[in-house]
Amino acid sequence: MILASVAQDILRAVLQGMPPGTVYALIALGFVLTYKTSGVFNLAFGAQAYISAAMYFQARNEWEWGALPAFVLAVLLVAPALGLLLERLIFRHLRTASAISKLVVTIGLSVALPNLFELVIGFEPVAGRTPEGLVPNGNGPPFYDPFGVYGWSRNELTQMAVALLAIAILGAIFRFTALGLAMRAVVESPRMTELAGVRADRVSAFAWALSSLFAGLAGVLIAPRFNTLEDIAFFELMVIGIAAAAIGLLVSMPRAMLGGLAIGIVIALSNTFLPRWADGRDWLQPLVDNFTLALPFLVLFGILVFSPRIRASTEAADPLAGVDPPPPQSAALTRSSVLTLATRVFALLVLAVGGWWVFTQADTSWIFLVTQGVIMSVIFLSITVMTGMAGQISLCQGTFAAIGAFSVYQLAERWEVSVLAGALIGAAIAAVVGSLLSLPVRRLGGVWLAVATLAFAFFFDAVMVRQTWVGAASLLQGTRVPRPTLGPLDFASDKTFLVLCIVVLIITSVVVIQLREGTIGRTLRALRGSELAAQSIGINPARARLIAFATSAFIAGLGGALLAVQQKNVNYDQNFAPLAAMFWLVLVVSLSARTVEGAIFAGASFSLFERSILRNIFGLSGKWRFVLFGLTSIQYARHPEGLLEYGKRRSTAKMQARIDRLGSGGDQDLDDGTDRSAREVSS
Amino acid sequence: MSALLEAREVTKSFSGIEALSKVTLEVGAGERVGLIGPNGAGKTTFFNCLLGVINSDGGSVQLGGTDISSWPVHRRAHQGIGRTFQRIELFSDTSVREHLLIAERIRRGTGSFFRDMIGLGRAHRDEIEACDRVLDLLGLADRGDDPIESLSLGEGRLVEVGRALMTDPQLLLLDEPSSGLDRQETALLARTLRTVQEQRGFAILLVEHDVELVAGFTERTYVLDFGRLIASGSTADVLADPVVRHAYLGDMEVPT
Repeated sequence: MILASVAQDILRAVLQGMPPGTVYALIALGFVLTYKTSGVFNLAFGAQAYISAAMYFQARNEWEWGALPAFVLAVLLVAPALGLLLERLIFRHLRTASAISKLVVTIGLSVALPNLFELVIGFEPVAGRTPEGLVPNGNGPPFYDPFGVYGWSRNELTQMAVALLAIAILGAIFRFTALGLAMRAVVESPRMTELAGVRADRVSAFAWALSSLFAGLAGVLIAPRFNTLEDIAFFELMVIGIAAAAIGLLVSMPRAMLGGLAIGIVIALSNTFLPRWADGRDWLQPLVDNFTLALPFLVLFGILVFSPRIRASTEAADPLAGVDPPPPQSAALTRSSVLTLATRVFALLVLAVGGWWVFTQADTSWIFLVTQGVIMSVIFLSITVMTGMAGQISLCQGTFAAIGAFSVYQLAERWEVSVLAGALIGAAIAAVVGSLLSLPVRRLGGVWLAVATLAFAFFFDAVMVRQTWVGAASLLQGTRVPRPTLGPLDFASDKTFLVLCIVVLIITSVVVIQLREGTIGRTLRALRGSELAAQSIGINPARARLIAFATSAFIAGLGGALLAVQQKNVNYDQNFAPLAAMFWLVLVVSLSARTVEGAIFAGASFSLFERSILRNIFGLSGKWRFVLFGLTSIQYARHPEGLLEYGKRRSTAKMQARIDRLGSGGDQDLDDGTDRSAREVSS
Repeated sequence: MSALLEAREVTKSFSGIEALSKVTLEVGAGERVGLIGPNGAGKTTFFNCLLGVINSDGGSVQLGGTDISSWPVHRRAHQGIGRTFQRIELFSDTSVREHLLIAERIRRGTGSFFRDMIGLGRAHRDEIEACDRVLDLLGLADRGDDPIESLSLGEGRLVEVGRALMTDPQLLLLDEPSSGLDRQETALLARTLRTVQEQRGFAILLVEHDVELVAGFTERTYVLDFGRLIASGSTADVLADPVVRHAYLGDMEVPT
């Protein structure tokens, strides 16, 4: 009897898990498709799904179109067109770029595209507004109940039918057409395939259109399940899809499909059985409640860490990539001491005038923004360490910052630890978490490290934030954080607090510069250049990575704690959620991840750009900053040094030419050595 | 007296196929030894086993009497194994001197987080002088400040040698140093290597395709074929051995 009821429960869970499972399979397939045919690990996939879903909603609910024309528009027209555009305008030109710069480009797109779409179409995510499914009365009562244990609704049936049809068509294309074969060849090397007489760009464009269609299809099919139609939901959906694709080691399409189904079913199973198992065990309750949410991220993280085949499958690099000319040498940056001095004097003047204005003229809201900019600069310095120095893309910097913020809240609220001490302890805790995280991922590089940190960020987001000892209270009673006092100084005043933040920023900047010029910086540069060669001179990569992770996490944690203190609240969702942290990366990378001033400019842009330039000068919506910086980060593939450095080099070259002309060409042969050392110090 | 490097019966197979079968090789202190063999003979696999890039399935590797078989690459480097690469591996965005400076700093082991923080992490004068001495030795004295990207392949390989020298190796493993170089560049490299080696007195194990270079450079030579050692002895004898000629050289004229 008991066995029979368990079997029934299992069957019910399987049936329940199948509809979302087929959608995950769609996502996984679309993802693998572009990864296989263009070597792009497309983190903008979720954004593509979101755009189709929102388009469908807009057509159905705002323009009151029927289901079929809305479907044709959103899935059959908009989605493939978007894929074609992305391929034609961006990824075709990046074919030989490194996998990591392609990844950065897709991260930029994932920030820019949803906002651009919302601005162009005039769509606003509103809670509770989601489109109906493809069929009328889709979420209605069970429609078809094959075994008498669980009835699929009409929506669920449509999901499965449409998804399976799409998968069957894709399978046929791959198996029976010349195009399918060409798609498989293109991924090895577009240029070599071209030598064999295949139009690689056409094949790749077709793959992008197809993959984008899958994204759109999955988006429209899954949308009725979401409470709010917003990009984060689709981004998370994509990460689940990546987990499914990881089950197929990111190359096998059939296994990616089965992986998607399996994840859907396992989620349903754990939803059924975990609560029973934990029944009566109170201490397990919080973990059990969130386990299902965390499951895909745990799977993804586990596969990346434990599968030697993924580790070994280093990025699909074009064998002909090496024939591209090397990037412009930084020697082009060399400038005379006159120009260096002039720049510094100018910078000091700007700082002096800015400081005078902030401390004597600005109103509270401007001081708030400036303080936020200073704190964000501190946080962004953690990206300077991680990405600029160690050359690693980490997508969990927001998590490190959140750890600092939650620590300061918990310490102040529960143990009445002084806030400043709490901030330092919080940063130390973040550093410990960072070090621990660096251990399992120590063998991962490039794209895999980025994805593993993304999985960690989502795991923290789904599970840890809800624990009472981390931030659970935030959902109920808010995470209030007091302002610190230090002896006679009370930082409750915004101006005093701003001074404190500036001091922290200066100290952090100096430390980062010292590290960069010191042993650590040089060790990391060596590792970035060639891990093999670095090891051969006795560098221990795991140890160097651990130091980079710990330092970066400490800085992020410190900044996060300061941010919470400034806002007097942790505000996790608004400040530190995984998508917010992706925007940080985009911002820093598009300005300059290599220099300290890059981080400071990024901090200023983060808080001041919207109000001072977008709104006051152009009268534009704040969303434009996501679009602008997201699109700017695309140039990372060409100019990894960032917009700031690039612009500086260009303008320096121009200015230098003018100075040289004025100086009758006499000082063209300035001593190289002194110039270079001056430049290194100046950044 | 035991040899500097003793590899005993090193065995490695990849998914059932034996790439190395009980290869035994010795290099004495200050000696120049060659390792040759046709493509696929297992030279690179053996090299990687010596360096710790891959772990052997059986056998042992000893350096100066210490068993280093299970050590990771960087620890073997500290123990005194330096290397160069067949496809040069340099640190991009870094000057020539920086390549040597980082190796010097790692050898000294004086770098630490806290020294960095208080500004003691920058290059010291004596470190720079040590690097410049080696650059001078390699004929790169005036290239110290140049970005690494501006160097030719031959110069790049010399930088690799210099970088390895900064770790003060007892044994330098050279992985096909002549690949990609023309005859003149190869000759220059061989001359430079010889001068440096005579001054510093380290041992060299040379894995090479270029028989001419091996013949002129090494005292003893080992020959691998299909993962087995088929000959060893003085270089002249080995290159004259009909078995070796058949397996590797075909009907090629052996220069003496």
